Amino acid sequence: MKKLFLFFLVPLIFSLADDAEVQAAPDFTLEDVDGNTVCLDSLLADGPVFMSFWALWCKMCIKELDALKPYYDEFDSLGINLLAISVDKARSVPQVKPFASSHKWKYVVVLDPEDILRDLYSVQAMPSSFIINQDKKIIFSHMGYKPGDEELIIEKMRELSDEGHDESGE
Amino acid sequence: MNQASKILIFFCIFDFLVAADIRISGANKAEYWVFVDEGLDSLNYKEHLTEKLKLSASYDDITLRGVFFFWDPSIAVPGSLQYFDFTAQYKKAPVSVLYGTYYTTFGRGLCLNQFLDEDFNNDNSLFGLKADFEFYNSRLTLLTGKPRNIFFEELAYSIKNDTTDQIRGANLETKIPISKERVNIVAAIAGRYVRINRASDIWPTAFTELYGGNIGLTVGPWEGYFEYGQHMGTNPVIGGRLKGEGYLFTTGLAIPGLGVSCQYIDYEDIGFGGPGYRYNEPVTPIKSGVSVNRGIDEIGYGATVIASPFDFFSLELSNNKISTHDPSMEIFEEIVVLDDGMDGVLEQIAKLITHPSYDMEITAGFERVIKQGIELPIEKKTETKPYLDVTYDFGAFFIETGYEHTFVSSDTSDYYDHAISFSLGRPELFVLSVRYERRSRTPPDWLIPKLGEETSWPMVELSLDLTRRNNLRIRVGAEKGGLICSGGVCRFEEPFKGVKLVLTSMF
Repeated sequence: MKKLFLFFLVPLIFSLADDAEVQAAPDFTLEDVDGNTVCLDSLLADGPVFMSFWALWCKMCIKELDALKPYYDEFDSLGINLLAISVDKARSVPQVKPFASSHKWKYVVVLDPEDILRDLYSVQAMPSSFIINQDKKIIFSHMGYKPGDEELIIEKMRELSDEGHDESGE
Repeated sequence: MNQASKILIFFCIFDFLVAADIRISGANKAEYWVFVDEGLDSLNYKEHLTEKLKLSASYDDITLRGVFFFWDPSIAVPGSLQYFDFTAQYKKAPVSVLYGTYYTTFGRGLCLNQFLDEDFNNDNSLFGLKADFEFYNSRLTLLTGKPRNIFFEELAYSIKNDTTDQIRGANLETKIPISKERVNIVAAIAGRYVRINRASDIWPTAFTELYGGNIGLTVGPWEGYFEYGQHMGTNPVIGGRLKGEGYLFTTGLAIPGLGVSCQYIDYEDIGFGGPGYRYNEPVTPIKSGVSVNRGIDEIGYGATVIASPFDFFSLELSNNKISTHDPSMEIFEEIVVLDDGMDGVLEQIAKLITHPSYDMEITAGFERVIKQGIELPIEKKTETKPYLDVTYDFGAFFIETGYEHTFVSSDTSDYYDHAISFSLGRPELFVLSVRYERRSRTPPDWLIPKLGEETSWPMVELSLDLTRRNNLRIRVGAEKGGLICSGGVCRFEEPFKGVKLVLTSMF
């Protein structure tokens, strides 16, 4: 019983912080599968950033990225940068680029074999996705994926692009 | 410095930083199991609590991270395990300096591969100092650290390498962009050195060194990579100087709708560590994660093709093999053939995914795995598994159903396992899954102490999204256990009958 009590206690304390949605996004510089340097600051200069953490072994991660694939061009034209962060270890890195291409993903596929970004964003479950606005704030985060969850992500990205247009007076 | 002092110092610094403009984030995973143990007479159930809390605070160029881990089983032996890891890092281009617990891999891991596999509960860390310097498309890494391997097997966590080993290493990588015009052409070259000493040793052995390097070339959609490693150490048991080598070659082609990846491995005493652990974890080409002896005597290849010519259709074919060497064979034959004189694994996978409509996905697959000398005392075991999964999304809900049938043929007996599963879910809310698995035979007497007498394993699982960043999974039922592997590391998972609660949070 003591163990069961402890099981619920610690997460309860930390879940109190759950409503604090808007947080500063930590900076990062990593490489994509083509060897290009990907830096958060440079991306934000072009527009907001959506990133989803995935791995070759994670079936639901792949389903999420496949489900968002038809919306890539829409969000790209709105200036949103879409990143797929692969947390596959060094041993699996050679398979990442062929896999992403075979799925016709247009996302920038970033490699994070040493979990640098995964630690910075405290990713505990896969997939986990984040939307970062141009003020470098995380305005949305989501853990896990079930078919249909992509609707919420799409809605958030459309809201973000609408806000951007309102601010620019378009 | 004892555990309590470390925690106190970490939180004092943490508390100080709270006053400043910093970003604090964290994640938590708590697992509570209560399960039946037939081996206990008076109290026939056990409890198991695992708590892993990660906290991270970033301020300007400084990041502090802490991981608190606590495992409390209900039995006195092996007893509980708890630790507190911390990392302090200063990072401002072109320099990064880190002190504390860290993970790192040189190249693809022939010389050094210290990594964390959280899903497999395999934690290979280093504690010490690491510095990175970047200059002219190059990166120099210098490190020193004490390795620690925490591994979960047979329902218990343990530290596998209870030694006084110390690792020092240097890695220099350079990238040479050749062309960015019509085709992106990049060459890469790297060299590395790793030295392992023991601070104290009952039977003093010579220190161990690993040298290596790699070259890589990317030309548009094509990529080639070759890594070499050499191991200079002491021969176990017999003593004397040991010299080992390892080669790894990978190549891949990535064009929209088609992905091809191939690899070739050849290891002769490159794997270095001790019983059950390695400081370099040589790559296995087997997708299900099996290796033969983790870099001691292995040769093999892997080839995977994934083609999606149409948006509604995707086909994956994979053929992979790893085995011990057989000097009586020609080199090509030795790479591709698994004959009776070798220990090894041959894996063949075919998977077809199709979307007859926008709302429906059908996956049909076939997997065949031959294991020789891997699951001793079974000499040879062949598993052939056809399976089918269907997912249908009808707006507010989705359903997923699947069936798999595994024919098992071994030198002791032939039998089959089959399983049916059904899930109902609602986006952003829950997934309720039911699975029933059955085996066509009772285990032979010599396997009962390990696998139990069960021939069926029913299971119900509810996954609840409490909020977007808090998930609770409740699993009630039985799991059959067996050998599971990841990245060449295998463990025997005991059969399970009971309840598992897993609460995952991100904040």
